Order: sequence, then structure tokens, then C-alpha cells
Amino acid sequence: MLVTALDLIPPALALRPEAFQALLARPGFGLQGALVIVFLAGISTSFGQSVVLFANHVSPRRFVASLLVQAALFVLTFLAWSATVWGTAFLLMGRPAPFAAAAAAIGLAYAPQLFNFLVLTPYLGNGVGAALSVWTLLATLQAVGVTFDLARAETLLVAVAGWLAAQALQRTIGRPVARVGRWVRHAVAGTTLDPHEPPGLGPR
Amino acid sequence: MTLLEPGTLLFVAVFALLLSGAFAPLEALGWWAGWFGDLADEEPPPAQGEPATIIPALERDVGRYVVFLSGIDSVSDEPVPQRQVRFLERLREEVSDAVVLQVFPYSVTNRALTGERIFARFWRWALRQKLGTRSHEQIAGMLINLRNTWQVLVSADRRYGPFYDRGTAALMVRQLRRAGYQDASGLPIVLIGYSGGGQIAVGAAPFVREALDAPVSVLSLGGVLASDPGLLAVRHLVHVIGARDRVHKAGAIMFPGRWPIFPYSPWNLARRHGKIRRLVLSPCNHTGDDGYLDETKLVEDGRSYFEVTVDVLAALVRDSTGPAPVASLTPVAA
Repeated sequence: MLVTALDLIPPALALRPEAFQALLARPGFGLQGALVIVFLAGISTSFGQSVVLFANHVSPRRFVASLLVQAALFVLTFLAWSATVWGTAFLLMGRPAPFAAAAAAIGLAYAPQLFNFLVLTPYLGNGVGAALSVWTLLATLQAVGVTFDLARAETLLVAVAGWLAAQALQRTIGRPVARVGRWVRHAVAGTTLDPHEPPGLGPR
Repeated sequence: MTLLEPGTLLFVAVFALLLSGAFAPLEALGWWAGWFGDLADEEPPPAQGEPATIIPALERDVGRYVVFLSGIDSVSDEPVPQRQVRFLERLREEVSDAVVLQVFPYSVTNRALTGERIFARFWRWALRQKLGTRSHEQIAGMLINLRNTWQVLVSADRRYGPFYDRGTAALMVRQLRRAGYQDASGLPIVLIGYSGGGQIAVGAAPFVREALDAPVSVLSLGGVLASDPGLLAVRHLVHVIGARDRVHKAGAIMFPGRWPIFPYSPWNLARRHGKIRRLVLSPCNHTGDDGYLDETKLVEDGRSYFEVTVDVLAALVRDSTGPAPVASLTPVAA
């Protein structure tokens, strides 16, 4: 099952609908493999944003632990986003589909985020990050269209409505959850992970 | 999809390029985080009246200190190209009251690429290729340039610059103190940055100034310069460029802060404050046979490009205390 999902990464990156169709045809919709992709994408994303860990003098051991914990939080965020899209598609379009199918397809659509560590690239990194976000959005539209059997306009509508719903949730019930997530990240890193300006060299 | 399809090859090439860049900041970040030992590998300044570790400065009258930062083709603080070796020798002769030092600016941990590194063997191989004469060997040697170019971009990137620039500044501060520089002595420090070394000199300048309480100016020799906040801290930057040098233009194109449409960028502010002067050495190219350090090509008055560059930089170093160091110099005709 895992191998199937990983095999589907290249066609998913190429935004081919067959990739998502093939995934959904698998037993259990290949959810396990998709979750592995999201977890690896989470590690890659955390590594790409790890400047704050270095800046706060986090030790190598805590650095690795932080990447793993942030990847786990990334998976939870992904599940919340999948649930939002799944609920929106059902409520707006009346298209029922198993949640596992939606999560698996959207998880495969996270494949471009496997490259998020490239955000570290000096000077070009932020542009690369923006390009990967757009790439992921396009793959997610493919995944949603295939999973719920939607036309292009319907897919866009679900995506926009899902995004709005996610924003609303983040600003309401998401806040205490985010606070817990922040506390966990700081606890694992062993510091408050404030944006950190290093002190001067100054004569001592 | 086979590996040889053009689209796949392009994807692999872009990915490999970005991959080499993604790991570029890790040395500076790891150094800052303390993963490679003590922070900055610094020494405290010598106490009042205590002699420095190396005391060439006490054997003669020293009027200024010069730190040379080599171009992106270097692998250590020993300049491999003989032209650079001779350039530094001549500079020492021409400015006899200057202590001229060198720092390898592409490693905040001051480790030569060919030294104590996991990939040292690879970099020694790349250096051998670079020194070869066949074109395929020189292409392999370009990997050194690529690796060091990423370090220039690390310095220019505001996410990493504050760490990287403090690291290179710490190296310079250590060298300067070892060479006898007394904190707050008021002796001018001139950082000469060749090519990518220009950006690193500008980035490090404010931290050198802060650490030593010293006046610091920068001479860029064909420097590829970003719009670095360090420009506002230097006494002045003289951007010495050759008329045929296209490499330095990369900085003006690549870094948006240098575009005129951003009037409040550090570069444009520094220009308006009169801190940046441009000096065109008419005929020179960036490097190679008609480059700044070419000893065979001559200008009208019979001097070689090399001699013109030495004369101009020596004059600028001697003038490093003056408010308008370019005033006495005129461009040279080919």
C-alpha cells in the first residue's frame, strides 16, 4: 500500500488525474501511504523553516525531535483541512465520499510539499516556497475533483468554500488548539523559539 | 517518463541546483547554534599594554589594516591563483604602512574546503580539475565557484545574513587582533572584497566596526553586491569595476534593493548619503586573461591591467581616511 502511494508521486506531481484515480482504486484508498507522504512533507516543511531553531541555539537532539513533532502537527493540520474539504463537498454539492478517500487523495496532493526543504535555498527559497504552494493547490484541486467527481467550476467552489471555512475555524476553535501546538513545539525545542536577533560581536 | 526526456533532465538539473543551495546556509546556522564548538572561535582582545599574538604591527609604523577577501574561485585563505598572490605582495609593497591580511570568506568556521571536511577529498579533486587546462576539467572546477556563490547569497539573504556576516566578521576580528590591531585605536580598516568577496565584506563591515570600535571602509573589486544594511555602517564603499566586467552587474540585476524603484533600500540610501563611489577601470574584464589582475594586457601609458589595479587600490587604501577617496583618481584609457 505504501509503495503504491510512493509510486504515484511522479504522476501526482505532473497533476495527472490518473494518479488520484489509481490511489482511490486501492484497498483502503491507500490512506496509509498518503499519510506517510504528508508526514515526510511535514518534516521537509519544518526543515525548510528551521532557521528559528538554529537561531535559538537548539541542540542537534532537540532539533531532530522538533522536526518530528512539527511533522506530526503538520499531519494533524492536514487531517483538519481534509475534514473541512470533505464536509464542504458534502454540504455544498451533496457528494458523499468516504472521509478516508478524501484524506488519501488530498494527502497525495501534498507531494509537492516534499520539496519544501528547498525554502532554505538562499535568496531563491521564498519564491520556491510560493511556487510549491501553488503547485500543491493545483494538485489538491485535481484530488478533490477526482474524489467527489466534480466539474472544474464545482471543484473551485468547494476549494474556495473549504478555504473560507478553514479560515473561520482557525480563528475560532483553532486558537486554543494552536496554543497547545505552540506549547508543544516550545517544550520539545526547550526554548520559546522567539524570532531571535543575534547579539553583536562587541568588545568584551 | 524516462530519465533522458528533456523535461525530466531540466527538472533534475533545477532540483540539483536548488538542493546544493538548500544546504548552503547550514554551516553558518550550525556554527551560530553552537553545533561546531564554541561560538565564533574568537579570542578576547589583548589587555591594555599586552602584546598581540603576532606582532608585525609593532615592528614598524602601521597606519592601516587591510583584509583581503578573495573571489568565489578560492578554496582556502591561501590564494591559489598566482595573480592574487602577486597582487597582495604588490599591495604590501605599495602601501608600506599597511598590514595586509587574508581571510577565506566562504566559511564561517574558517575551514578550507580542502581541509577538515567530510567532502574535503571531493573539493581537492575539484581544485585539481579547476587548475587543469582542459575544458571538461574546468567545468568540474566550476563546482567550487557554485559552492562559494551560494555562500555569497547566504550573506545577501536577510534570513541568514545576520548570522553569516557575524561569523565572517569574527574571523576578521580574530586575524586583526592577532596582527596587532588595538581596539578603539582609530586606525582605519579597509576590507577589499574581490568579486563575491565584495558582498561578504559589506555584510561583515558593521560587525567588525562594532567589535573593534574601528573605522571600516570597503573596496569592492568587481564586487557582486546586494543592497546590504552594512552599507549604511561603512565609512564608504568604493566600487572599482572594469568597463568590460559583466559579472559585477549580476548584483545590480539580481538584488531588487539595488533597483532605483526602491529609494529607501540600504543601497539607494547609502548612495544618496554619498557613501558609495563608483570607479571604472576602463579596459578590464572580471577575471581571466583581460581581467583586473592580467599582467600582459597594457593600457595607453604602458602599465598592465594588473599594475593599474594595484595602483588604484593602493591609492584608495592610502586615502582610506579621507572623505572622498575617489577624487584624486581618474579612469584609465585602454
